[in-house]
Amino acid sequence: MLLLYSQNVRPFFILFLMCFALIACFFRASLCAEGLVNEDVKRTLDLSSHLAKITAEIQLANHGASRVSGFTLALEAELAPHLAFIGASVKGEEEEDESLELKETTVHGQSGKFFEAQLPSSLAPGAKLRVKVETVFSHMLKPFPTHITQAERQLVVFQGNHYLYSPYPTRSQTTRVRLASKTVESYTKLGNPTKSDETVEYGPFKDVPPFSQDAMKIHYENNTPFITISSVTRTIEVSHWGNIAVEETIDLRHTGAFLKGPFSRYDYQRQSDSGISSVKSFKTILPASAQDVYYRDEIGNISTSHLQVLDDSVEVEIRPRFPLFGGWKTHYIIGYNLPSYEYLYNLGDQYALKIRLVDHVYDDQVIDQLTVKLILPEGARNIHVDTPYPITRSQDELHYTYLDTFGRPVLVATKNNLVEQHIQDVVVHYTFNKILMLQEPLLVVGLFYILFFTVIIYVRLDFSITKDPAAEVRMKVASITEQVLTLVNKRLGLYRHMDEVVNRYKQTRDTGALNSGRKTLEAEHRTLSNDISALQARLKAEGSDLAEKVGEIQKLDNQLKDLVCRSCQEAERLVAGKVKKDAYIDSDKTLSGKRQELVSRIDSLLDAL
Amino acid sequence: TRSCLLCVKMTKLGFLRLSYEKQDTLLKLLILSMAAHPNTCLNELFLVGSYFNYRTTRFLTEEGFYKFHNWFDDRAWYPLGRIIGGTIYPGLMITSAALYHVLHFFHITIDIRNVCVFLAPLFSSFTAIVTYHFTKELKDAGAGLLAAAMIAVVPGYISRSVAGSYDNEGTILSQRYVVYSNAFKKASIGKVLEFVKYQIETYTLLFKSLVLFLYWLMLGKISPWTGRFYSLLDPSYAKNNIPIIASVSEHQPTTWSSYYFDLQLLVFMFPVGLYYCFNNLSDATIFIIMYGVTSMYFSAVMVRLMLVLAPVMCILSGIGVSQVLTTYMKNLDVSRPDKKSKKQQDSTYPIKNEVASGMILVMAFFLITYTFHSTWVTSEAYSSPSIVLSARGGDGSRIIFDDFREAYYWLRHNTPEDAKVMSWWDYGYQITAMANRTILVDNNTWNNTHISRVGQAMASTEEKAYEIMRELDVSYVLVIFGGLTGYSSDDINKFLWMVRIGGSTDTGRHIKEHDYYTPTGEFRVDREGSPVLLNCLMYKMCYYRFGQVYTEAKRPPGYDRVRNAEIGNKDFELDVLEEAYTTEHWLVRIYKVKDLDNRGLSRT
Repeated sequence: MLLLYSQNVRPFFILFLMCFALIACFFRASLCAEGLVNEDVKRTLDLSSHLAKITAEIQLANHGASRVSGFTLALEAELAPHLAFIGASVKGEEEEDESLELKETTVHGQSGKFFEAQLPSSLAPGAKLRVKVETVFSHMLKPFPTHITQAERQLVVFQGNHYLYSPYPTRSQTTRVRLASKTVESYTKLGNPTKSDETVEYGPFKDVPPFSQDAMKIHYENNTPFITISSVTRTIEVSHWGNIAVEETIDLRHTGAFLKGPFSRYDYQRQSDSGISSVKSFKTILPASAQDVYYRDEIGNISTSHLQVLDDSVEVEIRPRFPLFGGWKTHYIIGYNLPSYEYLYNLGDQYALKIRLVDHVYDDQVIDQLTVKLILPEGARNIHVDTPYPITRSQDELHYTYLDTFGRPVLVATKNNLVEQHIQDVVVHYTFNKILMLQEPLLVVGLFYILFFTVIIYVRLDFSITKDPAAEVRMKVASITEQVLTLVNKRLGLYRHMDEVVNRYKQTRDTGALNSGRKTLEAEHRTLSNDISALQARLKAEGSDLAEKVGEIQKLDNQLKDLVCRSCQEAERLVAGKVKKDAYIDSDKTLSGKRQELVSRIDSLLDAL
Repeated sequence: TRSCLLCVKMTKLGFLRLSYEKQDTLLKLLILSMAAHPNTCLNELFLVGSYFNYRTTRFLTEEGFYKFHNWFDDRAWYPLGRIIGGTIYPGLMITSAALYHVLHFFHITIDIRNVCVFLAPLFSSFTAIVTYHFTKELKDAGAGLLAAAMIAVVPGYISRSVAGSYDNEGTILSQRYVVYSNAFKKASIGKVLEFVKYQIETYTLLFKSLVLFLYWLMLGKISPWTGRFYSLLDPSYAKNNIPIIASVSEHQPTTWSSYYFDLQLLVFMFPVGLYYCFNNLSDATIFIIMYGVTSMYFSAVMVRLMLVLAPVMCILSGIGVSQVLTTYMKNLDVSRPDKKSKKQQDSTYPIKNEVASGMILVMAFFLITYTFHSTWVTSEAYSSPSIVLSARGGDGSRIIFDDFREAYYWLRHNTPEDAKVMSWWDYGYQITAMANRTILVDNNTWNNTHISRVGQAMASTEEKAYEIMRELDVSYVLVIFGGLTGYSSDDINKFLWMVRIGGSTDTGRHIKEHDYYTPTGEFRVDREGSPVLLNCLMYKMCYYRFGQVYTEAKRPPGYDRVRNAEIGNKDFELDVLEEAYTTEHWLVRIYKVKDLDNRGLSRT
């Protein structure tokens, strides 16, 4: 309504406003009592993207009698719903800018949105201060015409205010508008502005009363990507095993002028300016440590994307399956893994996760609706969240995934209308008992234990309801044969041991050692042979023909033992000098030859077993 | 295969000093790990039918069994709809849904999509194990091992059981073999107890399961089963009576080359196995002979029934190879060199050892080449999803044509929720699953007349087609066009089938196939082509504005790279349609049907 009045009404209106301001002062004495005045205002309207970024550098002077500890920022009622971000900072002389805390407030009798800024140190009467106010508005640029064909260029209209909307009188101000292109259809001509290339400069305007409004309207060409993230769900899953998985489900829409009529692929491929306002691709910047990046949608992997790993970031060139024209939308999922040591800090059981609440999707991004889901490890307690700006928390949820028993706590938060300035860190504090880390490996171990145990039970026990005597006998025989095998091998070992004893005897001529060796051989051999005979008897009892083979082995073994004894005697005789060395060697050779043969026969029998 | 062969050798030579049971367990484990190892790990659905099955499974898991049972799908067969719960065989979906729920009960949060993708490989693993047991019943464990190893890689079966082919066909085999081998086990007990009675029972069971299987295969997703069933018994039936069945490439008779391509060594070893079976006639071998010969016949009738043949080929070849190996392994002189002197040469068989080792080497060579061939075929022909096409660029790099999904995704997000899409029935399942839009006809080709109506629209002039499209309430039309990229299975190449099917019903009596040929009887899209063809809707949709495109160097604009001809009708505008979307490589073109003008008059 305020924007529609004509030139000749303006003085009256200003008068009216002044009266109004006076009345307002009457009610809210604090406002005027401050006696603040905007000495000099430099406004910049950056309309070169699809956002309206309005910055105002204000020189604030205290003309009042008392010290002032804060001031009020105002936004026009028409602009207020589009506000995505507002920030104010005090320009220091030499030191860095100091950002101010803003608190929303109301001004009685005035429409619009108001913020109370608290100064770091109060402003003495007569003192001056430079303040920078930054605001970003989304969806302020309206495409006009609203529907264009593929060949046409996109024109947009911006409607705003020539003046700074402020509760304080302004002494002098200039407004500079940056556009996206040289082509401007029309613009309001208040105060005879100058236009050069892509900028329009208004002012200076002198002595503007408080709450002044004068409709500014600029109609110009803007082919920058008008894409809006209509909703994004950002899921951050923290694992204490060293990984943070991030997944963003994004709904994207081209919010520029709607495509009217057909889409011609031929023109699109042939002419570079065909569909100039459409979006083919854009860049998403992920953290430098992002790994295993995936880009997919409901119907599978999207094959048209490029990944570039830079020193300080990972750049993904996101190319939707189809170019986005006005009104077209798409939906995709992008996800990646981050090493947790860069984001997760701990002191004993106290953990702190510091991660971006929302991340970069494309330059000059607008997010209509953001949902953040933070999945903390199972067993995290005493959760406390520090957000960089107010955000709506929903009911916490529980999330179950691999090896979970009682569920992971999920923090859910939502916020509307976000822009690049909202890419800030959130800090989540929680306590986590480290013992719980063992839960998952133990579960796996337990599971395998149960698995193997069942297999053991199944294999070892007989679950059949019928008896199979043949199989039983076979198994019995197999176990007996196995015992026989070990025993026979042991017995053969005894002979080898005896050989060693004999050799040692030949060198040391210690008869005592030889005799004791012989005795142990005899003793052990007897027990082993007896055991084998017992097993042989059992085999016979089972009716297995293997018993005969065992008997044969026994027979061969007897011969073998005789041979061992004989070689032993021969050695004794040699030592005693009863035989010549040559003869001994001869007889030894024949003996060992016979033994070799016997052993190999026993071996072949064992193989047969 | 090789390691299994090695195992067989080791068993035979007794290298492993283990008890029989232990050897058996070891070998079984080896089979489990080798043969039953799932084949691929792609995360996409491959075959057309899979999309439908996936969609129904998702519905089942999300909505529950009773809703699934009563599901009336209004997305397909517009305006008729389809009672899905009552017309499909829900075994597959219930299996995967049950698997999904069990996994989720244990908090193994696998997506239902992955369950579907990996169900076929899982079941093919089971098939390998079951084949082992089945063949063991027929001959011995060695043959079983070989058969299992063969079925693990045989392309004819892999083509239907790779990850992503989610269909009854791939999963049914293992179930069927369980029935068979159980039947044989029963039979062997039966001999001891009541020979005759059990035998009869076994045979009826076997017969039933065979009939049931074929019945299933036919019915799997096919309602006019009679037609397809008849064409099995009489291969020329479909060709003469039902063009829609004849039009499916899967229903074409199998060529010789595809036998070799899909089976390789098995083609030669199959008769060896048969010979062995004839030599050792028993109930089991008679059954396998019958089974082998009948499936040979079936596979010759239709390409798709190669699936029936492949496993029995594996079994019989396994028997054959194992027989050859056992015969010659015996002759192999395995004694150690130090004992060589003791062995005396058999005078009637002079170079026994050399022949035996030669034979075994040849067999090993064949088996190794079989492995390589199978791997090659699988990776070349059966591993790429049919939805994504790829080609080699001039510099040898791989170019991906992801146009199908591009178009379907565009439909999904940029058309009204209730839009009806007309396309040839081949793309029906894909459109419902990926684009989530209502379609007129799909791969379940039960309603011949409805498909025929769509064929008529495609084959008519714009004016006539507009009437049909208004009648069918069509909002978008989708065509596949390969002229720019050289993709040969596009709609122009399928067009004659549309004409035939369109002309096969009463409403399309005016559509005559010979009108679309040149006077000399050729199907041409260039200047010489029949004027009826050059002015029909399909032609116009495919070639709209194509006349201006340069496709190849030194060729005039509008040169079709599939038909290798400059198109005959270049300069035309569409009256009743407007181009809504064309994919990057022009593979899919979507047109929007214009509304009646303001006065409610037709556009033409």
